[in-house]
Amino acid sequence: MASDHDELTAAFHLLREAARRSAVARQLQGDVEQALLRSIVEATATLFDAEAASIAIFEREPDRLEFRVAAGAQGAAAVGLSVPPSQGIVGYVFSTGQALALSDVLADPRFDRRTAERTGYVPRSIAAVPLIDGQHPVGVLQVLDKRGSATFSLRDMELLGAFAAQAAAAINATRVQRDTSRLLREVFRELGDVELDEAAVESLVSAATADLDRDEEAPFWRLVDQVSQLNGMTDRELTLVSDILEVVGRHATRPGRRG
Amino acid sequence: MTEPLLPAWSEPFAGEGSGLLRSVRVDAIGREWAWGGSTGAGVTVAIIDSGLERQHQALHGRVVESVAVEMLDGEPKVVPDDAGDLFGHGTACGGIILGLAPDVELVSVRVLGADLRGKGAAFLAGLEWAVERGVQVANLSLSSKSAALFPAFHEVVDQAYFRGTALVSAANNVTGASYPSLFASVFSVAAHAVADPWRIYYNPAPPVEFGAWGVDVPIAWKDGGSTVATGNSFAAPHIAGLVALIVSKHPGLSPFELKAVLAAVADNPRS
Repeated sequence: MASDHDELTAAFHLLREAARRSAVARQLQGDVEQALLRSIVEATATLFDAEAASIAIFEREPDRLEFRVAAGAQGAAAVGLSVPPSQGIVGYVFSTGQALALSDVLADPRFDRRTAERTGYVPRSIAAVPLIDGQHPVGVLQVLDKRGSATFSLRDMELLGAFAAQAAAAINATRVQRDTSRLLREVFRELGDVELDEAAVESLVSAATADLDRDEEAPFWRLVDQVSQLNGMTDRELTLVSDILEVVGRHATRPGRRG
Repeated sequence: MTEPLLPAWSEPFAGEGSGLLRSVRVDAIGREWAWGGSTGAGVTVAIIDSGLERQHQALHGRVVESVAVEMLDGEPKVVPDDAGDLFGHGTACGGIILGLAPDVELVSVRVLGADLRGKGAAFLAGLEWAVERGVQVANLSLSSKSAALFPAFHEVVDQAYFRGTALVSAANNVTGASYPSLFASVFSVAAHAVADPWRIYYNPAPPVEFGAWGVDVPIAWKDGGSTVATGNSFAAPHIAGLVALIVSKHPGLSPFELKAVLAAVADNPRS
């Protein structure tokens, strides 16, 4: 029994370690998802020479596709808008997983003109492709009004699909981080209240740690560990460390003043 | 060799099919034999999609039945439907089919809706219903990536094959498996860019076996409208329409025979 207890304790510590790392990583990295997605829509808008490119992500309660990032001269106003997944071109692409493009969108009475007008921009053409994370659609990448052409070619659709695959990978990568901490919270709650058999704990541990970066030597994880060790410091000591980091940060963004 | 980021299913059909040179002589069957004089009369085609707008002039009164799949307590149930077409996409597909085969009867199987956002189970139930109903052709412009549904899709697609139902499925340009569009027995279709509804290609390098017009296709759309669209899902109904013409003229041809006829009359360059 003693060894069971020891193993449970070890598992508990491992989980705590994982949770700590996950939380610190999130803290250190900031909103990686947002930054990655923005770089993808910016690349998309530039490459297509389009008036706008944007990514809508599926969110629940209520079910909606929320425009999270946008680029291009006409893109900015779309950010923050939501459309139901049962509506519009973006909704269709999300619901079916089928990429499609429509031109002379203005003549299309089903085009969600109200959403377009809220952004102050009504497009003439739109191409939209699904973002698929493994088996599930998680959002849609859309491009509005390619400047050089009134319509989108097969090559355009394939290229857009490649960008969508990148966006889905970015969403997946950051979701793993979010899901890890959610899972760990659940596990802690369970461990506190009920007795788990060894196998259950083991499977929870492996589920919780499977996606964590185990490379202890990576500079990033060294930094995470160092920062996480600051937990026990007094406020005064933390302020000092923070001041030092601020100076380092300022230095890093002004290469001209280095040295 | 590394896997490409995305399957470029339309790639073989680019440049007027110049990469699809065929030396195998399967062209003893010609288009006149295949569908000469056929209008699709007597053939029922199911459109498994977003619904059909019965009153749309492009569908000229050919919609004979409309059902929808509803999820009740997590279980799919097929019920009569009067919601029309939620997106316009089903109507677009129906219009393309009627453009080639004006006398087919259309059955709308709506598997998309507010509570159905791409639910594989609803799509599966709709497909099962269509096969059970005995339609000769079904047009599927969507597919599921759910690995859990693989066996169920496999079963119903086999069932369709053995009953002689031709399932015409738009290829999905996303990485990984998608069902049933990449099953061997379905007519899997990607887009080519030649503006001709009668131009088709046979691709001897599956999984996508057929190419049809899918770029800048004038289509019917919601609320009696029309627009111009691009996508594999507009290529599939061209093949569905041609299959309906062949079935109408030659009832009883099995799916593999229908594929052989399409391959024989395809516009691939011949050596």
